[in-house]
Amino acid sequence: MTNFLLRCALLAALSFGMSAAELIIKGDIASPLVLKTDEIAQMPHETVSVPDKDGSTASYEGVPLREILKKAGVPFGKDLRGKALASYIIAKAKDGYEVVFSLGELDAAFGNESILVADKVDGKPLFEYQGPLRLVCPNDKAGARSVRMLETLELVRLQK
Amino acid sequence: MLIRTITLCLLAQLCLASQFPKPRVPADNPFNPAKAELGRYLFYDARMSVNGEQSCATCHRQELAFTDGRPRAIGATGESHPRSAMSLVNIAYNSVLAWNNPQLRELEQQMLVPMFGEHPIELGLRQDSKFFIIIRSDTTYKPLFEKAFPSEADPFTIANVTKAIACFERTIISDRSPWDRYHYNRDDTAISESAKHGEVLFFSQPFSCFRCHGGFNFSENTMSAASAPEEPEFHNTGLYGEQGKFKAPTLRNIAITAPYMHDGSLPTLEAVLDHYATGGHNNPDKDPLIHGFKLTPDDKKDLIEFLKALTDEAVLHDPRFSNPWH
Repeated sequence: MTNFLLRCALLAALSFGMSAAELIIKGDIASPLVLKTDEIAQMPHETVSVPDKDGSTASYEGVPLREILKKAGVPFGKDLRGKALASYIIAKAKDGYEVVFSLGELDAAFGNESILVADKVDGKPLFEYQGPLRLVCPNDKAGARSVRMLETLELVRLQK
Repeated sequence: MLIRTITLCLLAQLCLASQFPKPRVPADNPFNPAKAELGRYLFYDARMSVNGEQSCATCHRQELAFTDGRPRAIGATGESHPRSAMSLVNIAYNSVLAWNNPQLRELEQQMLVPMFGEHPIELGLRQDSKFFIIIRSDTTYKPLFEKAFPSEADPFTIANVTKAIACFERTIISDRSPWDRYHYNRDDTAISESAKHGEVLFFSQPFSCFRCHGGFNFSENTMSAASAPEEPEFHNTGLYGEQGKFKAPTLRNIAITAPYMHDGSLPTLEAVLDHYATGGHNNPDKDPLIHGFKLTPDDKKDLIEFLKALTDEAVLHDPRFSNPWH
């Protein structure tokens, strides 16, 4: 009975739009992956300090986007060549916002962009309007690709 | 160590929370407390107008977050200003100062408009106005000017009046709202759950309020000592089917600075949200960001709760910003 009530409460919470604390990696990959935020918290983290144009700065901690995508079988390194280079990732937020990254800009041998899937800001969990997960693109001059409330990463291959 | 101590003292004098970056200060008017104190006296001095009844504080009342509560400001001769008086809170961080003039970027320069402008007349001063004679002999001002500008043989100048008032205005920092406690001190009880949901909506893609009112000062035209210079942004808000672009002012203390918009034409926050939800009036210059959105009664309530959480009661009553002549 208790389990039943807990399940009902969870379903109700999700139906009211509460953030599912997980990241879905899907698309044209062999085995789509769902990572819970606590699983992401266990992965090796990096820290980047990001200045805002108003002069304030924030320090984000997170897992390199490349490492999360590798975990789901997205091709990098020696596998990223030929047709695979015509592939990109759609990063989508809870509110429907979407941006795109090519695999080439993420790979160490090409763009080597150190984009993070961040779960902390200034040592604390992200605020609700930011998280529980967000992208941080420290080398982008504008902040528009640093997707807040990140929910899914989808691989699209233009050539197969 | 000495430099660090001096820096910390200056930040404290500017009433800055550690979370705010250091503001940009013009090289020819460095901050000092004596100048700011003189500026406070000048800011509240009603003799500094053609009718002897109006001061800067007439249109910038502390209890209204340094606005005047009117749709449009009224000058010393009774002339109506075409624009609403803007809030002075966190003015030190504004990259541009007027509603739609990209040239006015320094307080010392902007101040000449209300002092000497004729279209419309605001304070109605002239270079030979009696006030500039008064300050030379007034027993209150004499020591204040001498302390503020100790190396000058004749400190009683119009340039020094503007420098002192600018120094005072840069001290008016609003950083003690419930949202600041929630955001910077991580006090989860500082704002309501409704306000937290309003914050999510504010920063969401469909509402996109943050695109013009982002950053720590909730205004895109924000800069500090660490900012790279940028061209200011102005937007047509779709209020009317006509041209005209205006800056997005800070939303700090917005709940008490009604009426709203550049001409004070919207009386309440509810009316502002309704305006943006409907997408305003179409015209070729309307900003594409004014595209409309679905606004439920609950969402409206939550957004307003969030905006109310930006009210800093302390800045409204802080004696450091109050009238010294009382």
